[in-house]
Amino acid sequence: MVSRRRYRLKRHHKFEQDGHKYVADLETGDLIQINDVEWEILGRYESQTRYQIVERLKGKYKLTTIFDGIERLESLRQQGSLLSPIVEPVAPTRVKDEQTDRVPKLLVPFHFTNEKTALDYLTGLNRYQFLKHLSAFAELETLAFSEIGAEKNETPDFDEVRVRNLRVPKSNALVAPWYALDGYDGILLLSQFLTDDLLYYRVPDVPIVHCIDGVQQLRHSLLKTLLTLSAFQHSKDTLVVKASWMKEWLAELGVPVQNVRVIPDGIDVVPPIGDKALAKQHTAAIFEKPMFTKQPIVGLISGFEPNRGAAWISAFARANPHLAVFVYDAMLADHYQHPPENVVVFSADDEETRSVLPIFFQALDLVCFPAMPGTPLSIVLEAMAFGAPCVALSKYGMPEEVAGAGVAVNADWDHFGNFHVSMTELSKTIYKWLQPSEVRGLCEDFSQRIVQRHTRKDTAQAIVQLFAEGLQRETDDFGTQRTLFPPIFCRRYEPETGALKSSVYRLGINRYDDLETALAEALAEKHTSAEVASVFKHFQCGGSVCI
Amino acid sequence: MLGFPKILHQLHIFQAGGEFYAADLEKARVVELSAIMMDTLKLVETQTDDAIVETLSASYEDDEISEAFERFAELEKEGLLFNRGEDLRYSFKTESKWRKLLVVIPGINVDSFFDIETVSAGTNMALSYMIRHLVEYTDLHFAGSRNRKITNGVYEVDIGIDDLIRLRSKIAETYYGILTLHQEHDRWLLPLYQYPEFPPILVQCHAPRGHAGHAMNSIFRHYAAMRDCDGFTAPSDYVRDFYADYVWDPSFFHTLPNGVDSKLFRPMDKAAAKHEIAEEIGDDRIEIAPTVGYLSRVQSEKGASVYLKLAELNPHLLFLIAGPNLGRYASRELPNNLVYVGFHPREKLPVIYNAFDVYCFPSMSGEETFGLTVLEAMACGVPPIVPNFDGVPSVVGDAGLVADAANFDHDVATLVSYPCPVDFSVKINSLLNNTEMWDGFSERARQRAEKFTWHKTAERIVKLFEMLHQKKKLINPNKLLNVFAPTPPVEDEESQELKCRSVLLSMNANYERCLMRDAVYPLRPEDGVVLSILKNHTPREAESILAELVADDTEAKAILQRVRGLIDATT
Repeated sequence: MVSRRRYRLKRHHKFEQDGHKYVADLETGDLIQINDVEWEILGRYESQTRYQIVERLKGKYKLTTIFDGIERLESLRQQGSLLSPIVEPVAPTRVKDEQTDRVPKLLVPFHFTNEKTALDYLTGLNRYQFLKHLSAFAELETLAFSEIGAEKNETPDFDEVRVRNLRVPKSNALVAPWYALDGYDGILLLSQFLTDDLLYYRVPDVPIVHCIDGVQQLRHSLLKTLLTLSAFQHSKDTLVVKASWMKEWLAELGVPVQNVRVIPDGIDVVPPIGDKALAKQHTAAIFEKPMFTKQPIVGLISGFEPNRGAAWISAFARANPHLAVFVYDAMLADHYQHPPENVVVFSADDEETRSVLPIFFQALDLVCFPAMPGTPLSIVLEAMAFGAPCVALSKYGMPEEVAGAGVAVNADWDHFGNFHVSMTELSKTIYKWLQPSEVRGLCEDFSQRIVQRHTRKDTAQAIVQLFAEGLQRETDDFGTQRTLFPPIFCRRYEPETGALKSSVYRLGINRYDDLETALAEALAEKHTSAEVASVFKHFQCGGSVCI
Repeated sequence: MLGFPKILHQLHIFQAGGEFYAADLEKARVVELSAIMMDTLKLVETQTDDAIVETLSASYEDDEISEAFERFAELEKEGLLFNRGEDLRYSFKTESKWRKLLVVIPGINVDSFFDIETVSAGTNMALSYMIRHLVEYTDLHFAGSRNRKITNGVYEVDIGIDDLIRLRSKIAETYYGILTLHQEHDRWLLPLYQYPEFPPILVQCHAPRGHAGHAMNSIFRHYAAMRDCDGFTAPSDYVRDFYADYVWDPSFFHTLPNGVDSKLFRPMDKAAAKHEIAEEIGDDRIEIAPTVGYLSRVQSEKGASVYLKLAELNPHLLFLIAGPNLGRYASRELPNNLVYVGFHPREKLPVIYNAFDVYCFPSMSGEETFGLTVLEAMACGVPPIVPNFDGVPSVVGDAGLVADAANFDHDVATLVSYPCPVDFSVKINSLLNNTEMWDGFSERARQRAEKFTWHKTAERIVKLFEMLHQKKKLINPNKLLNVFAPTPPVEDEESQELKCRSVLLSMNANYERCLMRDAVYPLRPEDGVVLSILKNHTPREAESILAELVADDTEAKAILQRVRGLIDATT
């Protein structure tokens, strides 16, 4: 896909006379004096994208000169000269046709080095698996930069992701998002460290799908990240969270969630090693805890804030001494030194530890998890996949991903990691659900089928589909429609009252108008409607004066 | 018939899509031409109508020819293709080394500025003097409807009000500045400020008060819309000080004092002057009794009623009125000691002023930004007595007396002052009863008036334009991109509601980096609103918005300064 042009050039004629360059708009009769770079841009405007124009001209002119030239030409539209907006009819079938013709080409910017230390092993592994499966449905490309003149050192392709090696001048002012203007159907963002990533949101017409992991290590910044992204989103963009409670959380905070989708990671489940008893024996042996062969094993997939989590787990284990508790927690595994006797803490940190995880999961009689940011849903699902029902400690009722496979116990948590659940009620529920029953039997069956519902292929397909959906959503682009009668914000003296007020005067119709409306319009030229709404909300609640 | 031959504008003829076009470079317009019009254009500069018709009739039908002529007539009416008025190309070339100012004052007769007797009202009088002295520093081109030379260095040019925006590149190339006069109902000027190309625009403004607040509100609109490199002039500091109570940046108001022709207006033999006037109107009391003078329109707002009261209070003095007529006071019974001395041409005015022992200026209009007649009286060595409000006391300085006036400062729109007749009366008598005091004031009045010259006024205009050009160079475009995002609640705060913040995203829309490599730069939402507004609006407009959004003025001003600093620092 080539970035769509927004304006059509009217019939025009360029000429030079007496050392000056002019363009004549033959439709309006306007004659406009232009400079050298504008002259060249005009010659390319119809046939080349903005990206191509800049790339072609940047050897000859300074970047800002080229951008200023484009800006000036496009600003002539405000006076009705030279350009008219392209009103493209919505063609929903077009995207579909393209899909059958070829797979979409997606830009996947990589700068995971920062995140490597912050993300746990399984999250990293999941990303890799995800990209691998995604490559069956999309052409993936990432960017690598090297300086012109420097030693030629091209980055080779990563397995499934092709590397577009770009050679740029040393002082290249353009950051990576600039290159996203050139021929991508979408941008897939996986990073949670919002640096240059945010600039991708300024790439016109190219839909963005931004996937956010609710990982424990980043939970201090998770809410901020989600809120920032929700503000940056345009209608074509989608924010993907990996568990339903993340979306519920945003909705609870009053964040618009129409472009937020819940798409859990796909899971891998290996064939069972034998029966549950064998798995329990292995578990007991590995952890040197014989009680794990005798007592029912509850798997606790933790996403707790580590400090508070350790205290909670200890309390839980002491309240339920008849249970053996297998805790999966990526942070506590290293730091929780002396858990109660009936607790083991584990996390997969490498290939070897990853490979034994299914054994532990197979040994579980029940899976318990707090449905909160930080808890990895894919691990919950994997833990259940051998047939264990679940008890979800949930603020928003039974999470839809596990509905039919267990029960929810009412819990509460806040943005700062404080977690609360009635231990008595939880203990009772766990006791009840460990007993064989018809319901438990149904839930066990359901859990065993979880793996079929969360394949990596499904996840990859669902993500690719989001790019097409994004394109079809009604556009809320700003900056294209300036108001017909430009407002001048000014003071106004009211002779009747002697008061000085702020007001707005509209050129063209030459009268005063409503300040609030004009301010909203002015802000909407550069901001999304969600942003404008948040500004107005701020000044009505937090500001000293209501507008 | 069109009256060919005519001089053509600078044209560029071209063909596109099978049609002929003429690009009129002088009017920045493109006109489609038929084949016959093309053929006609080749002849219009050298041949008469008849000769052209004859030539054309070899190839075209009569009705085609008349249709083409009709079309040319229409185009000429619009100011297109043909030079209207004199051919000034040569004159402009020879004088091009001079700076040129474009003077745009719609609805004014340019010739009147050069025929002083046709000018009435102090404001226009001042403008006329100023313009005539400005020629010493720069050529003046008056925007009009034809080209002609008015006098040396002064031209009317065929640039209509509607042409200005289209011709902005050409205007920027040709002119050092645009000089204009604030007229509250004018609508042509406000849109001009939106174009960065225009050279600095200097707007002369006068009375802020009165007019039911319309004048003031109009100035507020101009103040808000104008660019950083535009400004107002006003005859006294009073106007700037007045607006300083209402706007944050009074530096847009530049004081441009009027001058006085102190060769024409000079002290004369007082007895001879009185004798001349007494003879003329046949009233010999003028030669005997001490005289108080008033030179103005005889209207309430100019204080005519107060002047009448003064005459009643002082039967021992003679109160002279020089003005176009007595207005509505003509039908009233006037005190015997009030004498109408008639209306006189300008060259006669020095004699009139010299026939006054004191000059009384009791105006209550709230529109007296300067008081040109006061300065003229002073130049003639006549001590003035003026009310204590508006700009007049600053002209008088220590060279006259300032009388009490009841000021209604908060009633800007209607009645603004009532000069106190009793205090005026006391001061008139104290001056007339003390020869030594009178001599001192007379001397100082003359000395002070000599400081106000029209040369200085004209020179200051040129300097103001130079200063505005400096300001134009300092203007930085605001391309910073910011985004409003909700910010998460803080743990120890009671309200856990989301708050709004602004995030500075990048240096511009062209994918250039933000301030710091790995950080989004947070701003308060107030700062963010200003940053967004300053993309398409002026800092004065942001001022209006901030004044509404932020209750504390000091804080609001600091926000505007901070954001402007950020823009300047990152350009």
